[in-house]
Amino acid sequence: MGAVLDSLSQPFFRRALLEAVLVGVLAGIVGVHVLLRRLPFFVVAMSHATFPGVVLASILGTSLFLGGSAFGLLVVLALVVLGTQRAVDDTSLIGVLLAGSFALGILLQSARTGGSKELSAFLVGSVLTVTPADLVTTALVGVVLLLGLGLTHKELVLTAFDRGGAAATGYRLRLVDLGLLAAVTVAMVTTIPVVGTLLAVALLTVPALTARLWTDRIPPAMAIAAVVGAGSGVVGLALSATYDIAAGGAIALTTAAAFTASFVLTLPRSHRPRNTPLDSLDDLHGAPGTRGRGQSGV
Amino acid sequence: MLRALVQVLLLAVVGGLVGVHVLLRRLAFVTEALQHTVFPGIVAAFLLGQSLLLGALAAAVSTVVLLVVTTRARRLDQDGVLALLAAAAFALGVVLVSRGRSFQHDLTVLLFGRILTVDDRQLVETAALALVCVVTLVALHKELVLLAFDETAAAALGYRPAVLAVVLNVLVALVVVAAIRSVGSVLVVAFVVTPAAAARSVTRSVGGAMVGAVAFSAVCGWIGLAASYELSVDHGLDLASGATVVAVMTLGFLAAVCVGAAARLVGRWRTASLLAS
Repeated sequence: MGAVLDSLSQPFFRRALLEAVLVGVLAGIVGVHVLLRRLPFFVVAMSHATFPGVVLASILGTSLFLGGSAFGLLVVLALVVLGTQRAVDDTSLIGVLLAGSFALGILLQSARTGGSKELSAFLVGSVLTVTPADLVTTALVGVVLLLGLGLTHKELVLTAFDRGGAAATGYRLRLVDLGLLAAVTVAMVTTIPVVGTLLAVALLTVPALTARLWTDRIPPAMAIAAVVGAGSGVVGLALSATYDIAAGGAIALTTAAAFTASFVLTLPRSHRPRNTPLDSLDDLHGAPGTRGRGQSGV
Repeated sequence: MLRALVQVLLLAVVGGLVGVHVLLRRLAFVTEALQHTVFPGIVAAFLLGQSLLLGALAAAVSTVVLLVVTTRARRLDQDGVLALLAAAAFALGVVLVSRGRSFQHDLTVLLFGRILTVDDRQLVETAALALVCVVTLVALHKELVLLAFDETAAAALGYRPAVLAVVLNVLVALVVVAAIRSVGSVLVVAFVVTPAAAARSVTRSVGGAMVGAVAFSAVCGWIGLAASYELSVDHGLDLASGATVVAVMTLGFLAAVCVGAAARLVGRWRTASLLAS
């Protein structure tokens, strides 16, 4: 504990704590939407796909955040366009694009001389070097994203659970889908400074998955996920300061520990084996009239 | 250089064959997750001075077991658990490496692999793993294909879908183990998914896709290695060889998609002109 208290007196460590908490809350809440739409593989893919954008931005000296987002959106577009060719299914397509764009990132990186240090900072994050400007960016992006998600909550949940119904009601499914994919991509780019491209997926899925173990309802799941995300940030940083290990890795491992503990604690409640792959969605959906109404209110 | 080429060709054969099944059963995410979960096994073996192969195998087997256990809980779907396993395992690997002395260097080598420093022993190990995979695939070909297209019929005929699914997952794990040291822990998925997807966009038959995937992967592997060698020797452009191979594969895939789309257009046009005449 001594090491943690010592570190607390350092401004860079306090900034790191604040950044980790902000990102934890944001990623936790967005993560619930990721799980609702079964997007974990998409998140993994985007975490790799934004990599070349980040490398390019660092070569050109522009904002890493912009570079990552721009390239990520480009890959989303490629996914949508190639998806219309029915030869290959979406999962495989995501796999191809993720490996391809990651390879591109490595090539760009290896073509410039000696970028090994920066490379590993992108890959596993360097939360301890967060600047006040980064903090402001994170806070602004977070507020905008959460406002957007809050205002469109009803639409997002409806289109996740009942696509036919949503289309019949007159919602534009593609527009909603694209909007959410863009929001997830932006949230992911925000988490990159904290845990790195490869571990952003930890913050965007594990807290939400942990919350899923405790509740069937969406607003409580978001609250729990936000707490788990922020808590993991704090605990992970403390562990990293105490044992001198990589901060991003420590944060991701803490989320995994929270999940494991919840899994064991909730085992008695989840004794019933799953019947179908869709079972978990059905549970969330609930019987009409019981939970359905509660979900739509924010 | 010759060894690197042999290694790439071996991986092309086994990756292409397994890849077609991965594509049929939509296991791309499982492959992606496995390449990350094998990472801490390799790091641990590296730090302890044990055989990297053993570490990778142990990690791969534990992943498959954990996956089977956790997806039995009714609230969790497989995608979420895969993301969790991949992230947690990868984090563990990074934390382990960060305790070592030369963090940056080791991390880069372990993540991106070193196909140019493959030695004879590694080649023999890859060949052995490839042999196991190919023999299993040939022996179970009929069952696996049936299962992919019609799970109910397979179950009715007395096959066990669950057992076959685990066998396939283990095969994917073996390919990942075989490939990971030379291509690194991030790009393995390309050797499995990309060739099969490319072959799939030009042919519909399973056998054809397998032949096509292996050929595609071998050609791309050769071009990629040669290109990265030429560029680094003649032009001083130090391109990572594994990444170059994967980049060539991705370009090849895009070309295959275009060819497939064009072939379908021509086919449609022919049908239309036949109908008109």
